[in-house]
Amino acid sequence: MVEVRRKTFVVTRFDPDRDEVPKTQSYDVPVQPDWKVLDALNFIKDHIDPTLSHRWSCRMAVCGSCGMTVNGEPKLTCKDALSDYGDTVEVEPLANFPIIRDLVVELDGFMEKLERVKPWIVRAKQKAVQEGTYRQSPAELEEFKQFSECINCMLCYAACPVVANEPDFLGPAAIAIGHRYNLDSRDEGADQRNEIFRGEGTVFSCTYANECSEVCPKNVDPAAAVNQAKFTAVIDWAKRLVLPGPKEG
Amino acid sequence: MKHLLLRLEPIIWLIFGQGIVIGTILLTGWIAIVGIAAPLGFVPADALAYPRAHALASHPIGRVLLAALIALPLWKGAHHIRSLSLDFGGLSRDANVATLLYGVAAVGSALAVIAVVRL
Amino acid sequence: MDRLAHPDAMRPARPDRTRMAPPRLPARFPFSGRYRAYLLFGASGIPYLLVGLLLLHSIWALGDGPGAWMAVMLAFQQPLYIAFHVLALAAVVYTAVHFFWLFPKAQPPRIGPVRPPPRALIQPMLYAVWLGTTALMAAILAGWILP
Repeated sequence: MVEVRRKTFVVTRFDPDRDEVPKTQSYDVPVQPDWKVLDALNFIKDHIDPTLSHRWSCRMAVCGSCGMTVNGEPKLTCKDALSDYGDTVEVEPLANFPIIRDLVVELDGFMEKLERVKPWIVRAKQKAVQEGTYRQSPAELEEFKQFSECINCMLCYAACPVVANEPDFLGPAAIAIGHRYNLDSRDEGADQRNEIFRGEGTVFSCTYANECSEVCPKNVDPAAAVNQAKFTAVIDWAKRLVLPGPKEG
Repeated sequence: MKHLLLRLEPIIWLIFGQGIVIGTILLTGWIAIVGIAAPLGFVPADALAYPRAHALASHPIGRVLLAALIALPLWKGAHHIRSLSLDFGGLSRDANVATLLYGVAAVGSALAVIAVVRL
Repeated sequence: MDRLAHPDAMRPARPDRTRMAPPRLPARFPFSGRYRAYLLFGASGIPYLLVGLLLLHSIWALGDGPGAWMAVMLAFQQPLYIAFHVLALAAVVYTAVHFFWLFPKAQPPRIGPVRPPPRALIQPMLYAVWLGTTALMAAILAGWILP
């Protein structure tokens, strides 16, 4: 017989058509020992309250859809085991993001920041197809590989004190992805990205709280990326003071 | 002012970064001896008496070290207190807070140079 | 529930499609969990600023002459000053330990052709420089070297 316990889930609810401000609603859920938080949320939606809205997809921590705040910590709910929690579990939407409804937050702000860092290979001149592929050694791949593992789950943004207080800040994932391209041997866009890193939303707003890396479920270590980016942005800035380069702007 | 601060960020970060590393490394010995061990009587009386103190300080290396010892903690302090202000929702007052704090650090650094030159 | 982040935190530039609830601060920020260590690191800036100003005053006094310097040395013997210096020493040690933990991974893999030392070596090197410099400075200040 499968062991069934009951846990109480205190879930943030917000319907912009009905609610002035977000409130909480409690659900009594029979849980199974191997469940993740997401299983309980899906149970609530399927069997108790179909009006609950939450994002999820792959159920295996690669799509980045199911990020939420669980008992005060940003977590991927498909990865977060219920057995780690006691009888009451609080589920809230990710911190630092505007809330569209219930556990669903607005992500377009991140998409805009991401676009600004040019997250693609930038070449002065594109290689023609007939010239063949770009060649890259394993050692060159190692230099940026860790930072390419980001699944855009936004847990780092939810944990970052600078994101909370400075709306212009590019944020951990966007800077990490930009830095990933700066380190890519095929890329020639570091000058442009470093200028963006020093501009509005500057990487120097980062205060090295390291919270982003603490909560990252894929060990991307965005704090390392951001602080490496500070270094390279400064060196690029110093070089421009001394050497003539492409016009800024 | 906000735009000026943005342009100056790289150099502020550089000074601040060095302020942490070098300032911290130099400051420990000073505080431990001059601030704690000597006042508590664990240091021979004439080690920090005026003749020796002045001789050490007015040596060229002494002057440079003391100037760094004054200036670098000021920058580290200014930068971190500014960060604290921002962490507590202080974005709108940041231009004023940063000007004040970095101003103190800048003036203090200038005075530090004067202080060691006039020894 | 109602501890709010900056009202424009992560807000997109385009107009909102529906009315949204304002962004909220991370639950543990600023006084709980790991944020405590972060706040402490920031708060260490206060003793640093004060130490810098006190040092400025001290070196200025040294330039004023024996009387002024003696006055500073006597003032340092007061309990309040000793307590302050103990606090400042705690701040410096905390800063060093926290920063030496963070510093290694902030080195880019390469700066032009130059590679930084392997990460595993950077922390021990920093500690060696810190402790060595402290020992040397302490020995000089206390008169054990260069009497």
